[in-house]
Amino acid sequence: MSKDRQTLTVSRPLHNSELKMPAYNSIFNAEPSPTLIANFPLLPLRTKTRGPAYTLPLDTALPLSQSPDPESDSYDALDEVLSLFRANTFFRNFEIQGPADRLLIYGILFVSECLTKIKPSMSAREAQKEVQNIALDSNFAIPGDAGFPLNQMFEAPGSRQEAEALRQYLAQVRQELALRLLARIYDDGQAEKPSKWWLSFTKRKFMGKSL
Amino acid sequence: MAQNTPAVVMDNGTGYSKLGFAGNDSPSFVFPTAIATKAQGAAGGGTGSGRPAVANKPSYLTGGAGPTGHLSMKRGTEDLDFFIGDEALAAGNGPGYGVHYPIRHGQIENWDHMERFWSNSIFKYLRVEPEDHYFLLTEPPLNPPENRENTAEIMFESFNCAGLYIAVQAVLALAASWTSSKVSDRSLTGTVIDSGDGVTHVIPVAEGYVIGSSIKSIPIAGRDITYFVQSLLRDRGEPDSSLKTAGEIKEEYCYVCPDMVKEFSRYDNDRSRFLKHTITQPGGRQVTVDVGYERFLAPEIFFNPEIYSSDFLTPLPTVVDGVIQSSPIDVRRGLYKNIVLSGGSTLYKDFGRRLQRDIKHLVDARIRASEVRSGGAARSGGLEVQVISHKRQRHGPWFGGSLLGQTPEFRSYCHTKAEYEEIGPSIVRRFALLGGPGGS
Amino acid sequence: MLLLDYQNVLIQSVLTERFSGAPPVNIDQTVSDFDDVAFHISTPEAKTKIVVSISVKCFDELVKYGAQQVLEREYGSYVIPTEAGYNFSVQVDLENLPEDKDARDALIMRISLLKRNAMAAPFEQAFDEYHRMSEEASKFTSEEAPQGIREGGDVMTIHYRDEEAIYIKASHDRVTAIFSMIFREETDRIFGKVFIQEFVDSRRRAIQNAPQVLFRTDPPLELQGVPGVKDSGDGRLSYITFVLFPRHLTNQRREDIISHLQTFRTFLHYHIKASKAYMHSSMRLRSTGLQQVVQKAQPENEKKEKKTASGRTFKIQGN
Repeated sequence: MSKDRQTLTVSRPLHNSELKMPAYNSIFNAEPSPTLIANFPLLPLRTKTRGPAYTLPLDTALPLSQSPDPESDSYDALDEVLSLFRANTFFRNFEIQGPADRLLIYGILFVSECLTKIKPSMSAREAQKEVQNIALDSNFAIPGDAGFPLNQMFEAPGSRQEAEALRQYLAQVRQELALRLLARIYDDGQAEKPSKWWLSFTKRKFMGKSL
Repeated sequence: MAQNTPAVVMDNGTGYSKLGFAGNDSPSFVFPTAIATKAQGAAGGGTGSGRPAVANKPSYLTGGAGPTGHLSMKRGTEDLDFFIGDEALAAGNGPGYGVHYPIRHGQIENWDHMERFWSNSIFKYLRVEPEDHYFLLTEPPLNPPENRENTAEIMFESFNCAGLYIAVQAVLALAASWTSSKVSDRSLTGTVIDSGDGVTHVIPVAEGYVIGSSIKSIPIAGRDITYFVQSLLRDRGEPDSSLKTAGEIKEEYCYVCPDMVKEFSRYDNDRSRFLKHTITQPGGRQVTVDVGYERFLAPEIFFNPEIYSSDFLTPLPTVVDGVIQSSPIDVRRGLYKNIVLSGGSTLYKDFGRRLQRDIKHLVDARIRASEVRSGGAARSGGLEVQVISHKRQRHGPWFGGSLLGQTPEFRSYCHTKAEYEEIGPSIVRRFALLGGPGGS
Repeated sequence: MLLLDYQNVLIQSVLTERFSGAPPVNIDQTVSDFDDVAFHISTPEAKTKIVVSISVKCFDELVKYGAQQVLEREYGSYVIPTEAGYNFSVQVDLENLPEDKDARDALIMRISLLKRNAMAAPFEQAFDEYHRMSEEASKFTSEEAPQGIREGGDVMTIHYRDEEAIYIKASHDRVTAIFSMIFREETDRIFGKVFIQEFVDSRRRAIQNAPQVLFRTDPPLELQGVPGVKDSGDGRLSYITFVLFPRHLTNQRREDIISHLQTFRTFLHYHIKASKAYMHSSMRLRSTGLQQVVQKAQPENEKKEKKTASGRTFKIQGN
């Protein structure tokens, strides 16, 4: 078998389109000139939590577990995080193609972290407590901190004010993601036990990293 | 007498042997290429030492005094005490027998075992007098000519078979695709994607001849898909995640999706995509296993190997494209136009469609890029990419053999026993191309 | 595998699978068996109605000796009008199978034995004739037995292969089965002779109850005057005679004896081929042994210094 593997290196120069890593990138990379702190984008969010993010219109008829149509104005980067999460956790390699990819990475890793807190036996209320614990905790690492695992790809904020703004934005991201994830796992609170289809991704690590 | 009997078609692969008669649409027997022989003493048979299995009984042959004694060796029938196929695996589970696999990586490695395997195939299963039948055997691409000669020696000298033709599996797989309505001209030019249990080969064939230097193999095949299903079952903590269950789920429920992310959301919106698989465990207990994302994730490892393997990352479409690009330029068009699937691991629903789409993307991107490079001076008429799926894919090489073996001219392409006696084993180094130009 | 099966394994496995309750499928397979026998397994009418047809080269002769009756006795209600191109057809309806598992298995076996049963007819007839004659003869002492009985019945000839035939003759104290056999291959003839000699000698050794076996290359006396029997003159054609004595002809042994005798030729050829395989194994073992010896005799990597024309030297790495 090892012989087979050796023979496989494609000796021909690879064309650009083939070099692309197969993991999914963010469609928000195409967003024209987003607000950036260092190289992290502050993309608009559809959220009720307070923070620096520009908020998108909220459709109250839509259950929390559902995402709006990707074409619509209220579709945000966190909807994308939740839809790409399951596919992307299978990949170890990821090529950052734009600032929005950094939000995608952060979001996916945070979802993974939330999943590790939920045990198969937990009720929706218990899980909510556990997950809100980490979502509301303001003491988390941001890019540039020594405890942040992705400093190779994320630049540190330039000033203290910027750092504070980034922290507030990320807190918003964390709380909103936690809410939407819980709604998905517990079917908007209808289910007594968490969905095994979500929990089965607990062990997978996107890019081999975790927050 | 051999003039009106059907030809015997034997496709002996690494994992399974397919045996039957030309003219039928499926092989009569499909069983593991395994042989269980009496393991003598603690030595456990002669394998492992690299010597033939009869190393068990050298005392008689070399005249030395062995533990078994001269006379008993002379009158014994130990050499007939063996089983092949499923019976071999069953015997191997009990005491006294050791299971051997005479074919490794497509090539015959143990001729003693293979000779006896054939003997049993012919006399016990097919029930033919080899003197009365022509035989069509298969070989992997790049089989050394010495192996062909060894095969011919056994076929003609042991079995006195009436006539013999040895064909390359990939070429037969191309012939098998002639039954598809998509195939208009019966050409023997095309790219064969042969995916069995252990390995997947991509083999370009031009006018019936394999382009050996361009063959690529991929270490991802049926077995890996089963393992991947198993690991997904385990991640979810299903009550039964044995390999057998994983294999059943793979065979019954898996399909190829156009896009992973879209497929995930389809499952979110349509709960009926989640299925249940019931198994009866030994002891009669019934267990229900949920079947979900593995339905499309498992075959996805061909198109995104990264989700399964950390050391092999090239998607199958890219490998196919690379194989064709490394082939001589004048046959590439034909190779793109006739990509033929063969083997059990290509049977997933929409496998061919996805492969065709992905290869087409690669090809179109390259054409566009070269148009841009030429500054708009050169326009391409495009390139047709066609992946052929057909009904006989599972046993493609066997079926191709059956198809060619029943043609009236088949016998004239064979080497006969008389020709073998006249010229010797080297006669099988060359065969006229069956079904190729000049054939009908 | 010492003995060959009498039943056709493919028919057996197809029927076993179909009978197991698997969803019905279309079947259309042509299958060969020894001695130029062909089967056709198909589902022409409905997926649940499996037709098995047999074609035997010498079916006309077999019919002469009562094959039709034997087959109708064995297959009774399963017999259907014969499929074109074949000699005899049976049909099983999957929706109308015996309830009992054993009965189903017995049915599978019976259909797999189609060839055996077709070929059994002349043997059965000979056995019956023997019983009738021995009864007749018991009324007389052998010296005064009337003409028809002392000489025994007519010789039944079955040309089951192109150049080979079985001759069967019953008399009041024995049944004689003679196989004419031809070896196309010189090596096979030698192996064959060794094997047959074993059969001939077996009675002299331990197995006193074995039938008497005779081997010769010219037609035995029993076959004098039988049309088609010829002496090849060069020993190419051989005749093997089995003499079955009353102890072999009891009703309990009858089935087995018939099965064994039928497969005699294939049995012999199978063993000739197996012996060759055995010899080839030894030859391979010997040649690998010799190769090892030769390899040992290769000189160690000698470091020779070679000089180029300009007088420079370079080391030769061991090959």
